[in-house]
Amino acid sequence: MSETAEAGPSPEEPPVVTREPHQWLGAALITPSLLFIGLLFLLPMGMTVWMSFHNWPLLGEPRFIGLENFSELMGDRRFWSSIRFTALYTVLVTSAIFLVAFPLALLVDRPLRIAGFFRTIYFMPVVIGFGAAATLWTWLLNPDNGVFAELLLRSGLVDAAPRPTESFWPALIVVILMVVWKQAGFTMVILLTGLQSVPDDVTEAAKIDGAGPLARFVRVTLPLMRNSIILALVLNVTWSMLAFDQFFIITQGGPRNSTVTAVFSIYLQSFSSYRLGYGSAMSLVLLVILVAISAMQMAIVNFRKAPE
Amino acid sequence: MAGLVLQNLIKQYGTTRVVHGINLEIENEEFVVFVGPSGCGKSTTLRMIAGLEHISGGRIYIGDRVVNRVSPGKRDIAMVFQNYALYPHMSVGENLAFCLQQRGTPRAEIATKVAQAAETLDITSLLDRRPSQLSGGQRQRVAMGRAIVRNPEVFLFDEPLSNLDAKLRVQMRGEIKRLHRLIPTTTVYVTHDQTEAMTMADRVVVMNHGHIEQVGRPLELYEKPATTFVAGFIGSPPMNLLPGTLSGAGDDLGLTLENGTTVALRGKVRAGVEQARSANVVLGVRPEAVGIAAQGPQGVPVPVTLDEVEPLGIETLAYGSIGRTTLCARLAPDVALQAGAPADLFIDTDRAMLFDAETTRALT
Ligand SMILES: Nc1ncnc2c1ncn2[C@@H]1O[C@H](COP(=O)(O)OP(=O)(O)OP(=O)(O)O)[C@@H](O)[C@H]1O
Ligand SMILES: [Mg+2]
Repeated sequence: MSETAEAGPSPEEPPVVTREPHQWLGAALITPSLLFIGLLFLLPMGMTVWMSFHNWPLLGEPRFIGLENFSELMGDRRFWSSIRFTALYTVLVTSAIFLVAFPLALLVDRPLRIAGFFRTIYFMPVVIGFGAAATLWTWLLNPDNGVFAELLLRSGLVDAAPRPTESFWPALIVVILMVVWKQAGFTMVILLTGLQSVPDDVTEAAKIDGAGPLARFVRVTLPLMRNSIILALVLNVTWSMLAFDQFFIITQGGPRNSTVTAVFSIYLQSFSSYRLGYGSAMSLVLLVILVAISAMQMAIVNFRKAPE
Repeated sequence: MAGLVLQNLIKQYGTTRVVHGINLEIENEEFVVFVGPSGCGKSTTLRMIAGLEHISGGRIYIGDRVVNRVSPGKRDIAMVFQNYALYPHMSVGENLAFCLQQRGTPRAEIATKVAQAAETLDITSLLDRRPSQLSGGQRQRVAMGRAIVRNPEVFLFDEPLSNLDAKLRVQMRGEIKRLHRLIPTTTVYVTHDQTEAMTMADRVVVMNHGHIEQVGRPLELYEKPATTFVAGFIGSPPMNLLPGTLSGAGDDLGLTLENGTTVALRGKVRAGVEQARSANVVLGVRPEAVGIAAQGPQGVPVPVTLDEVEPLGIETLAYGSIGRTTLCARLAPDVALQAGAPADLFIDTDRAMLFDAETTRALT
């Protein structure tokens, strides 16, 4: 081999004209990412898989129990109802965010300076941490001295301060309101980049072709911003499926554990009941569900893309 | 059937006026080309006709209808954009059908019309493709198909060929003309390329700084440019414009050029000289009216140093300097000239014209 290499390329083989001179450089440049992925994703995931096969109390010896955690999980009504609740929350909150973010994106998509100002305003809550935002809202919602109760009472709309966290739907709606307030700006920005990626002359061509505002939006703008819509959808669905802080802080899972999300129930099993192995098994099941949802979304994208 | 009338058309962005009251009547089925340097307001004018740009003042008539407040879709116009502006997510067929669908044309009729337009432009085999799968020339053809499919009153083109390579541009130029003969429709075509204007137009509108400099048939503009701007814009290479001072009168009438040479003015060039408001004029002479001694000289010799000699095969272009201006001569291909050498270039004043140096208008 080395002989032929030194003698130059043989006549049948096309000569290799260019070769990347610094292959080690490429390797060096991706090392940090590999380290990150390895240390922060692959390693913890491996440990989770390992723990899920054990009875793993917080204190004391872990004991290998094979698939027992998983078989227990299959019949765990509380876990599955938390998954169902998470799915319901995901559908509602994602729809609500789109319903708010889309009009906002359309409103701020103009070349005016004032539009830039509003863009910033709508985006601001996004930079607040979820925990902080949720805590803020618990104060706002406090029936005894919260701002909302005060405003409602003063305006004479209600006689007694509402206590939204004491029944299921009001509790859920309040959390959704909080998340929309906090997250709509982010989706708005993604949709805005989509709107702005539609070439002006294509929109103008549609105007000349006689398409009204609605027809232009449905038949030209929406299809052309499909990638942004899908990105916004995937991110919102993923985040909502992993919801925890907002319910932990605002509703604490109540009333009667009706607002316990999937991650919340993993937390309860792991750190209230100290069943780390069982919690790990739950995490893995949730991971499988998330991967399945993402794969489904990707499949839809690729299917729609195929004719291009 | 409709012509197009622009009446004192004005466009203003804030306080900046970019189109200064244009008046123009375009006949039914006429092919008019707007030509001018970048930023002179051609596109803005075209976009006002299309309804894509708000009209700051004046009126636009399509036929005898004022369309100032009519939306683009209802003006019965079609536009071909510089970057094609095809719908990227639709097939070629869907691109052609879109405007008909928006008008509620029955399905069967859409199919026939699309097939017909595709036939005319020879894009039938491309109907199922996406725009991204087409070459530049094919995209341009589809854009034209989208324009002809609904048989509009007016075609508008905004530099449709500027993204194509030189060869394809010449070919598409012919194609657009052929299309216009086949489907005679009032057409406004915008370009900054004077060759396109000269070869395609029934009438050319030369614009500069938001004004119309001159409107006329291509040869009219070539032979009788109304201003030094038109003279310097039309023709390749354009007309030589030599500033000078008038001297003498009657048979002694002459023009002293920047390098001190006095050129006797004889023949037709003298026609408008009495209109000159001062002695400062500009002599306009086409390169083909400039010769050398070896070719049987016509006119007056002007000594120059040759800066550049360009043998182009079919002809040779020689450039000399007179003061700060360049004098270009269009010569036979076999002349033996050396760049850097002194030579006498002969100006045939009988085929030249004079412009007022101050107003830049032709003296005729
Ligand atoms: N939105 C705007 N605001 C202010 N000025 C503008 C605006 N759009 C165009 N202009 C100005 O109007 C003038 C005419 O522009 P226009 O696009 O009509 O030029 P054009 O003749 O088509 O040039 P080109 O050959 O480069 O396409 C330019 O000087 C331009 O700077
Ligand atoms: Mg332009």
